[in-house]
Amino acid sequence: MTGGFSLDDDPGPLVRPFAVTRGRAGKHVHGLDILTLVMAARPEADSAGLDREYREILRLCEHRALSVAELAAHMNLLLAAVKVLVSDLIDSGYLIHQQPRPAMAKPDIQLLQAVLDGVRKL
Amino acid sequence: MYASSDLPRSPDLEGAQAVKILIAGGFGAGKTTLVSSVSEIRPLRTEERLSELSAGIDDLTGVGTKTTTTVALDFGRITINSDVVLYLFGTPGQERFWFMWKELSVGALGAIVLADTRRLSDCFGAVDFLETRNIPFIVAVNCFDGADIYDEDEVRHALDIGTHIPVRHCDARDRRSSKQVLELLLEYLVATAMAAGEHPASSWPASRPR
Repeated sequence: MTGGFSLDDDPGPLVRPFAVTRGRAGKHVHGLDILTLVMAARPEADSAGLDREYREILRLCEHRALSVAELAAHMNLLLAAVKVLVSDLIDSGYLIHQQPRPAMAKPDIQLLQAVLDGVRKL
Repeated sequence: MYASSDLPRSPDLEGAQAVKILIAGGFGAGKTTLVSSVSEIRPLRTEERLSELSAGIDDLTGVGTKTTTTVALDFGRITINSDVVLYLFGTPGQERFWFMWKELSVGALGAIVLADTRRLSDCFGAVDFLETRNIPFIVAVNCFDGADIYDEDEVRHALDIGTHIPVRHCDARDRRSSKQVLELLLEYLVATAMAAGEHPASSWPASRPR
């Protein structure tokens, strides 16, 4: 993205889901999950030269952690497309990310209790 | 470093964690309704493209008319504390789809099977799926107006599930009722996790032989 793409490449609003990823699907390299949390790593001003979808992602998760699923929903893009874009932004240092805990045989009682406490407070 | 005066804190996801609970059940059982009633945001919809689907798929929001099949699911969010966010994923009613969506079920804390007593058999697929994958679940019977009310044991018997699995009637439209169902699931998860910790050899759910 820092090399090669410019605003002139902006495909406009009426694009097929994978036009925004230049046809790349499933090539995200970070093992991203629907629950991977991402957050902008730099101030918004730094992203001025990026394509619109990238800037949209960075805007959505500036100052707050958002899941890949939420990003996809807000941007009205397929999860697979968003993963490619998020992956690009991680590669270029614009996003930091946190994977969900791996599915483990042993449940984490403290975590479950924390979730229970949180739900009780609703 | 990225520290900047206009950032409330430097970006940091240390300790942040997203967890999920599945809301499963047949089409029209009230899954999205339940998600809506407890979520802090209006439910969002996200779609995934599934590649391994066979032809002949029917109903559910026109997926059958597409050559590339996408599966939509609605989800809500509950902020648990400063670190943990809970997502509630309403699984697509047409089980044939979400069964193929492994990412959806892997790592789920647990599940709520929403049953409609007028069409109890609609949730057999969800029960089978969760049992096969050792995802702990409870059953919430959504009481629609005028629906026959079966007692909890009758529902348990009809679904052929063990007596240890909680069954509770609810009204998915009602926030308090939906919240109670969520609490019941989490109490069950905590209890089973503690029991498994005390008796590691007999951890629940009855696990496959290793």
